[in-house]
Amino acid sequence: MLQEAQSVASGISGADIATAAKYIAAGLCMGIGAIGPAIGEGMAAAHALDGMARQPEMQGALMRTMVLGQAITESTGIYSLLIAIVLLFVA
Amino acid sequence: MIKSIFEQLSTTLIHLGEKQIVTLRLWGAQIQFDRDALIMTWIVMAALIVLALFLRRALKQPVEERPNRVQAALVVLIELLQGQLTSSFSSERLAISMFPFISTLFLFVLLANWIGIVPHMSSPTQNLNVTMSLALMVFVVSQVLAARAKGVKKYLKGFLEPVPFLLPLNIIGELSRPMSHAFRLFGNVLAGTILVTIVMAKFAPIVVPPVLNIVFGLFFGAIQAFVFAILAVAYINVAVEE
Repeated sequence: MLQEAQSVASGISGADIATAAKYIAAGLCMGIGAIGPAIGEGMAAAHALDGMARQPEMQGALMRTMVLGQAITESTGIYSLLIAIVLLFVA
Repeated sequence: MIKSIFEQLSTTLIHLGEKQIVTLRLWGAQIQFDRDALIMTWIVMAALIVLALFLRRALKQPVEERPNRVQAALVVLIELLQGQLTSSFSSERLAISMFPFISTLFLFVLLANWIGIVPHMSSPTQNLNVTMSLALMVFVVSQVLAARAKGVKKYLKGFLEPVPFLLPLNIIGELSRPMSHAFRLFGNVLAGTILVTIVMAKFAPIVVPPVLNIVFGLFFGAIQAFVFAILAVAYINVAVEE
């Protein structure tokens, strides 16, 4: 059994390991990178909803500011997405 | 039958990240550009111009007397754009002078995002060069307006505040705005395209892609166009006000 494992291991080249590392890194990058923006955008939406429930006449302004804040929050997630795309398709 | 559809679609997956680079030789200098992005940008521009010329025909009669249907619709559209986009400018004068620029930006990005759902067409905004040039345009406009509003001397002095030691940090902060502005639009549109293509080619080629196209193409495309225009307003406003 040990010999079998050794023969399998000898068939793995450095390029295979690099490919595997690339996929793992892309997955980790996207998975961890999505946590922050998700929490941030959720908080922005929650507080905007709070404000809208309290003052329905402010809905338009609150909505615009919320979307703007969420777009800025989202950019960290977009950066990790770009890194993942570069890892998968370019590198 | 379904298997052959899958086989056809899997060829689109192979060509997903591929770019058709055209090289132009002009007097010894080589100019390289992305063929698809260029053609799609031209198509979007042509569509906007044709639409504008077509709608302008309805504006021949004076508006005050009896506006026809197209006029009424256009008035509603312009007022909507004015209320949503340029109402966050600090001064009324700036809002009026910037409205054509911001609304053109919005309409261009909107149509560029939406044209990606047409088969055999790709969004020009999924190319970083297009979004970066749009963001650089906003950057130049904001800097020029800031220099004009505050005077060149005070504008240049603004980089040395609060202490001259922070000059490189101020410059980096200023330059990071067009970067994130461009990357945000590019990343969102590209992510939508990749997701739709992968789902179409690998999992469900028949019923699911239209739904995804509606969500990622129409809905997110409209939101991203709105965000792009609103951020342009915010950047110009901050640069002028500071």
